[in-house]
Amino acid sequence: MHRRSFLRIAPAIALLANCGKSPGKIRLALNWKPDPQFGGFYAAPYQAHGLDVEILPGGAGTPTIQMVGAGSAEFGVVSADELVVARSQGNDVVALYAVFQNNPQGIMVHASRKLASLADLFKAGGTVALQRGLPYARLLEKKYGFDKVKIVPSPGGDISAFLADKNFAQQCFIMSEPLTAKHRGADVQVFPVSDAGYNPYTTVLVTSGSFLRKDPDRAKAMVAAVREGWRAYLDDPKPTNQRMNQLNPSMAPEVFAGVADAQKPFIETDETRRNGLGSMTEERWQTLIVQLKELGDIQQAPAADDCYRAL
Amino acid sequence: MDLEIAAGEFIAILGPSGCGKSTLLRMIARLAEPTAGRITIQPEEQFQTSFVFQDAHLLPWRTVLDNAALPLELMGVAREERYATARTALQQVSLYEAEDRYPAQLSGGMRMRVSLARALVAHPRLLLLDEPFAALDEITRFRLDTQLRDLWRTRGITVVFVTHSISEAAFLANRAVVLTKRGGGIKLDRSLDLPLERNDDLRMDPRLGHEMKLLLSAMEEE
Amino acid sequence: MRRLRSVIPALIPLLVVTAAAELAVRYGFVKSYLVPAPSSVLRAMIESRAELFGALLTTSVSALVGFLLSTVAGIAIAVFLSSSRAIQRAFYPYAVFFQTVPIIAIAPLLVIWFGYGTRTVVASAFVVSIFPVIANTLSGILSTEPALRDLFRLYGASTLVTLFKLRFPAALPQILTGLRVASGLAVIGAIVGEFIGGQGLGSVVDVARTQQRVDKVFAAVLLASVLGLALFGLINLVSYITLRRWHASEQ
Repeated sequence: MHRRSFLRIAPAIALLANCGKSPGKIRLALNWKPDPQFGGFYAAPYQAHGLDVEILPGGAGTPTIQMVGAGSAEFGVVSADELVVARSQGNDVVALYAVFQNNPQGIMVHASRKLASLADLFKAGGTVALQRGLPYARLLEKKYGFDKVKIVPSPGGDISAFLADKNFAQQCFIMSEPLTAKHRGADVQVFPVSDAGYNPYTTVLVTSGSFLRKDPDRAKAMVAAVREGWRAYLDDPKPTNQRMNQLNPSMAPEVFAGVADAQKPFIETDETRRNGLGSMTEERWQTLIVQLKELGDIQQAPAADDCYRAL
Repeated sequence: MDLEIAAGEFIAILGPSGCGKSTLLRMIARLAEPTAGRITIQPEEQFQTSFVFQDAHLLPWRTVLDNAALPLELMGVAREERYATARTALQQVSLYEAEDRYPAQLSGGMRMRVSLARALVAHPRLLLLDEPFAALDEITRFRLDTQLRDLWRTRGITVVFVTHSISEAAFLANRAVVLTKRGGGIKLDRSLDLPLERNDDLRMDPRLGHEMKLLLSAMEEE
Repeated sequence: MRRLRSVIPALIPLLVVTAAAELAVRYGFVKSYLVPAPSSVLRAMIESRAELFGALLTTSVSALVGFLLSTVAGIAIAVFLSSSRAIQRAFYPYAVFFQTVPIIAIAPLLVIWFGYGTRTVVASAFVVSIFPVIANTLSGILSTEPALRDLFRLYGASTLVTLFKLRFPAALPQILTGLRVASGLAVIGAIVGEFIGGQGLGSVVDVARTQQRVDKVFAAVLLASVLGLALFGLINLVSYITLRRWHASEQ
């Protein structure tokens, strides 16, 4: 208790991050550039719920989970496995809304290689570009072994290396980079990572435990607004796509529309039709926690029901 | 101006600052081109000119011996031969023991002596000096004056010596030329009435004072 | 012994800051997932020592090769530029390009040209470190005293001879200054290249970051700093050996 009150008074590092912010403003930190995976966030009627929200677009390596933990953003977008690891390190962040019910992470390859599965890919040689530190990559390494392929860092959304080399395989979001590649004339095949049994919630809205305790009403309002936003985006993505495309011109408008369409099955499932968009279950969190413990990514397993809150 | 210098002369060029004496010297050395008029050397054969600057300008990364031998090295002389010549020159300026030292370890006077030795190794017919001893203390200056004069006598070179100092000009030279303030003209061109043999006693000699007075009045007029 | 004693004042602020950081994290003033406690950094270094020191070796080789290339090329380019004013005016602005181009932006291009691996890392180190070598060498060569140049002319030395026997040795102190700056930049360039190209300490930092292992990130960064210091020290040693007899800076 003494420690906590000291944190409130002392000019701690975290408070420095709050300097210059107008009172009541809510910052939402995205972990990538504006694209269809954030459609609902851009479409959400924040003002109607009494919220003044500023969306902070991100890019490669934006540390959204640390930003929320440090207080430089009230809300952030992370993937569920990131959250579990963060909680196990003492970062009190809580998930509120899961955009993608199923993990859209995958590996895209050139169809001409005639590969049948992920197992084939890792036996077939060539180069595989992925973020080696991510839990899914470590799971793939454990399952299939990386000794027959050359692992290189993922080039982010940049597909130029993929287009230049038939034997180049690249980490992707199933409904995103493959569409861009097809748009550029490549014949692609995608293997979902969930095929290997790894399926965390992805593009998850989180907030800090302290914000949740301090301001539960606004947290609730935020989730409500986001849910409405996603409904609106699913029903008609065009106006929001236009806004996002202006902020992120690196994706062609046709691809924007294609991705918005292709991502629907990840967002709206039987589960969400029953329990509402963005809903989460304890079981899924528990499975993830067990997997991460087995991978050695966490030393102490956090409690599943600490990881998320249904508001 | 019209200036004729005979072979074997020791001529001092005097004048106030900015009158162009250094420029004149550089033109004689063919390091600068005259804007009007020309410099002719007769007979028109090739000969070696050496230049001694106001600063010793030694190469700090070379030893005294290598510095002194530099002109010969640039002219392509073999090592043993140029070292031998350099040693002789160093001996003539009384620096024989310092041959392995570096310029940073020498005093100002010693460095100037190396510069002098360097000027002599190429056996120049013409030796040009631009206020070489101006930055040194009086005693060193007197010593080097005497050494320079002796070298001139033993080697039979033509020496053109630019200086600020009236006493030095009078002590060293056979002939003194005073330039006009704004350059391009000669105020005084005089053969000095002094003995051939110059030593420290001359500094007290009234004849020196007489010549100095003449030079001074030439410099002061205008 | 004197040199060792002179290092002690520099160590004191380091010890104070390390102790303060340790206490701050341990007592909760600073969150450990933002700033790792020094003890956890040390632990990470010991635990992952094989990986870290292997990576250190890889990065060292790339940084060193990139640095040597930029030394040779930089000096050669500076010599070329020094040959005439017209050449300087024509080509020097392009040399400045090496200084201003953000390496993060062109690193992906380097990967396309050189592939994933050491060549890209070396290229990155080269691009980032070459400009100070060019600038300092050129400045050194051009600032040779005119009187000395006159001296060489008097004795009939050709431009080439003047370059090697006069301008180069005279420029050496300034060349070494340029090398000192370039050495640190070569390490930075190598690390950036490794973010994109995937090996060495840069890769360790990138992977550890995605694993939220801040302690490992700091451990790798620390080793990268040590590498930079070591290269810097090497240049200082070369400077001492070559300049000690004649240059004021080493006396």
